[in-house]
Amino acid sequence: MEIKQTALAGTLESSDIQVTISQGNHGIEIDLDSSVEKLYGKQIRKVIIETIQAYGIENAKVKAVDKGALDCVIKARVMTAVQRALGTSDEPNWEVL
Amino acid sequence: MDIFKQGQAVDIPTVLKNRDYRVQVQQKLVGHHAHKTVVAAKLNLPGPIKNNAQIKQFFITELQQFEQQLMQQGILFEVATEWLNAVTGPERFYLIGEKQKFHVKQLTTAFEESTPARRLFDLDVLILKEQQVQSISRTELNLPVRKCLICNRNAKECGRARTHSLAELQRKVSQLIVETLVTTEKKQTAVQLAQLGLQAMLDEVTVWPKPGLVDPVEHAAHPDMDHFLFIKSALTLEPYLQKCAMAGLNYPGNDFPALFQELRTLGKRAEQAMLTATAGINTHKGAVFSLGIMTAAVGIALQHKQLTNDNLQRIVRQMLVNLMENDFTQMSTKLSAGQKQYLQYQLGGVRAEASQGYPTVFDYGLKTLRITANLPQNDQNIITLMQLARHADDSTLIKRAGNPAILKWKNQQIDRYFELGASVTDEGRRFLLTLQTEFAKRHLSLGGSADLLILTIFIDKAERTFKDGLYYK
Repeated sequence: MEIKQTALAGTLESSDIQVTISQGNHGIEIDLDSSVEKLYGKQIRKVIIETIQAYGIENAKVKAVDKGALDCVIKARVMTAVQRALGTSDEPNWEVL
Repeated sequence: MDIFKQGQAVDIPTVLKNRDYRVQVQQKLVGHHAHKTVVAAKLNLPGPIKNNAQIKQFFITELQQFEQQLMQQGILFEVATEWLNAVTGPERFYLIGEKQKFHVKQLTTAFEESTPARRLFDLDVLILKEQQVQSISRTELNLPVRKCLICNRNAKECGRARTHSLAELQRKVSQLIVETLVTTEKKQTAVQLAQLGLQAMLDEVTVWPKPGLVDPVEHAAHPDMDHFLFIKSALTLEPYLQKCAMAGLNYPGNDFPALFQELRTLGKRAEQAMLTATAGINTHKGAVFSLGIMTAAVGIALQHKQLTNDNLQRIVRQMLVNLMENDFTQMSTKLSAGQKQYLQYQLGGVRAEASQGYPTVFDYGLKTLRITANLPQNDQNIITLMQLARHADDSTLIKRAGNPAILKWKNQQIDRYFELGASVTDEGRRFLLTLQTEFAKRHLSLGGSADLLILTIFIDKAERTFKDGLYYK
């Protein structure tokens, strides 16, 4: 699967994460801005990568602004962003995970 | 009590959808109201239950305090929109007439930190940054970050790490909300009781015709007063009554005589406020005493058990168990009218009536008020007043007449009024008017009975308003 169009999901509200996903050529590149980066940066990146890979996507640029989101929220926001980018659906497809 | 036992569980997609919608609303509000500050208010509640009757009430009543704080700062506000019943939790959006957003942020943070339960509030002050709505963070103002409810460490870190179990968090949050609702209910009850007391005083002065008393038509027995003065006087007593109610609602233990001593201190100050408003004329001195006691007694009854006549009488008797002895054996040189009468005629006046638990009020006043409930309020209250006057040794009347023999004459007159059919017949009504003229001519007063009418009306209103007791016990 290839990302063709840029898509965004999520908000900058607290406990949320805003994910922008766009076309990339060098694997899954993540630009993360998080208030809990030091403690949870690694975990947040891991959730983002796994969620994207579940769609069979190998290349994508991801900009994530995290406001303390829990893993389940990160997953949901990334799924929505991916599905919007693929033009499949606006609702997260929970079957993927 | 666990508030999380009720309510509809909400799933993450619903929470996220609401968040997206909130951001749209906020974007619109901030875009349309550049000259105002938009504040978004919501609660941070752990777990899938985000709303129910108690949560909503907590949200609304606590925000009233925030609104009051704004008003005290001279800041105007309006509610732009709100969704109080959403399963995702109650939310409200304010437009605040203060352009200094950092100042508003200081106020919202101060509110969030002002009580432990208000830590559950999230009052975001919104700004536009790169075309996106964002909230000012505490760190931008060098304010301390939010602390965890359980361990007081950085809340964001505990939240992210899920340090505490949901059950533990819910237990704490439930406790905070219930404690707040209990306090709020008490405060609201005190405000309500004070208003009922005020209504009772205003009802009493409005009733016409009243022999020997001030009404809106006639006050010849009291040339120095009119009903405007009574309205002014009654209004000064509302804060006092609120304190009496609060004293009763919060009084720990059973040492009711000690509570009465507290009430007397409050009463002296209230009397001063009254005399300042009336330029030294005694309008409601008796009401300060009796209504203060009864308001506190209602507070105690509501705190401990149901509000019933028996409970009220028992509480008042306990409160005043030392009153007769204290006031009639250790008398100073400056005697009150009641004390003089006790020495001269061995009549206990309002003190005797009060220390017996106001039998005239309960046995005659309330009963009459209730059996006349289908009459117009004015007639109902006159008939009740005359029943009270018939059975009271009105010390104001004795003072004016200078002789307790007046009581016999008073009783004959009132008996005649009832024989003629009281205020439901033309004869009865005509007789009452002649009686009023007679009282005026002889400069007689039924001031003591008027206080008992105030008390009767107040108890009736209080018992009807709080017939189911308080919700939180």
